[in-house]
Amino acid sequence: MSKVTIEQILETIENANLVKDVNALDHTKPLREQGIDSLDFSGVLFNMEEAFGIEIPDADIDSLQTINDILVYVNKKLG
Amino acid sequence: MIAITHIGSYLPENRVSNLALLEKFETDETFIRNKIGVVQRAIKTQEQKASDLCIKAFENLTTKIDLDAEQIDCCVVITQNPDLNIPHTSAIVHGALNLPETCASFDISLGCSGYVYGLSILTAFMQANGFKTGLLFTADPYSEIIDPDDKNTALIFGDGATVSLLQADQPGLVALGYDFGSKGAGYKNLVNENKLYMNGRAVFNFTAGVVPKSIEKLLQKLKLDKVEIDQWYLHQGSKYIVDTITMRLGLEPEKVVFNMYDYGNTVSSSIPMLLSDDLVNIAAGQKIGLSGFGVGLSWASAIFEMK
Repeated sequence: MSKVTIEQILETIENANLVKDVNALDHTKPLREQGIDSLDFSGVLFNMEEAFGIEIPDADIDSLQTINDILVYVNKKLG
Repeated sequence: MIAITHIGSYLPENRVSNLALLEKFETDETFIRNKIGVVQRAIKTQEQKASDLCIKAFENLTTKIDLDAEQIDCCVVITQNPDLNIPHTSAIVHGALNLPETCASFDISLGCSGYVYGLSILTAFMQANGFKTGLLFTADPYSEIIDPDDKNTALIFGDGATVSLLQADQPGLVALGYDFGSKGAGYKNLVNENKLYMNGRAVFNFTAGVVPKSIEKLLQKLKLDKVEIDQWYLHQGSKYIVDTITMRLGLEPEKVVFNMYDYGNTVSSSIPMLLSDDLVNIAAGQKIGLSGFGVGLSWASAIFEMK
């Protein structure tokens, strides 16, 4: 699979039924500090798994704080 | 033709507020209202057992219809928190209601998918045996198994019970079709070992992945479009999960019923609890969609039409 872009990550977050404007999100700031609560975050992770065909174990979640973290993680998973 | 003709329900009077727990669980009122969807929970007394809740629901049913107990052919209770391990709770209910000795009684051990499964099982049982009148109870008092310090479960579940009257050759809701499934490999994500444990993320992933597909598959099988369904009654797991299914299926939000703010997630009672109020307002020819999902991990969806 070709490299996942930041735009694809943002689109996937948007599809998680969030009320936030994804374009207003800071890519370097933890999502949970930007109004994305624990349930929203579960939705974000589910959409990532579904969109990119990956599995995100519970053990990896703590390392996924920011949009940039997610971008790096997904691309690493896809090899 | 077997139809749901009347539904009785019961919620304990006692309420426990989730708003009093905001500090304890480091959450806020917006999250409680908009994501969990439970502001307060109905909690039974310690003395009340599942059968007591069923009997209260039956009393409510008798305020809606004159029912001759001698005519009842079968009595089924859906619960995973029975009064006792032995006997089945339906036997206790049978005795308490003085149902006739000719009345068959058995329990069904299912959680949040139980009501939809139960409708199919009881309808088939009645048809196979030429029965005319059946009672389908739901009562799963989770307050007996909740750890009050567990944020994942303490804010969600409430106690309650319902009883659906199923009758042959009477006007009511008739099933057009069902879809069932199980992911038993995931059972440990929602399990009771002394106290209830729920892996919220795993249950969310299961539900968001499986339920929309189940409903789409059923609509396809019945050659129906989702816009032909007048109202959706999804298991009230949380506001967030109902909203997620609504979005993923592209349902019109105003057609999706949500209302457990005042009493909580009542497990297998959640769908009939809503229907007990709405049944009289469903007009002939209207169709409703049901889907229950959870413990097992298990799911069941159905489309009914008022005939």
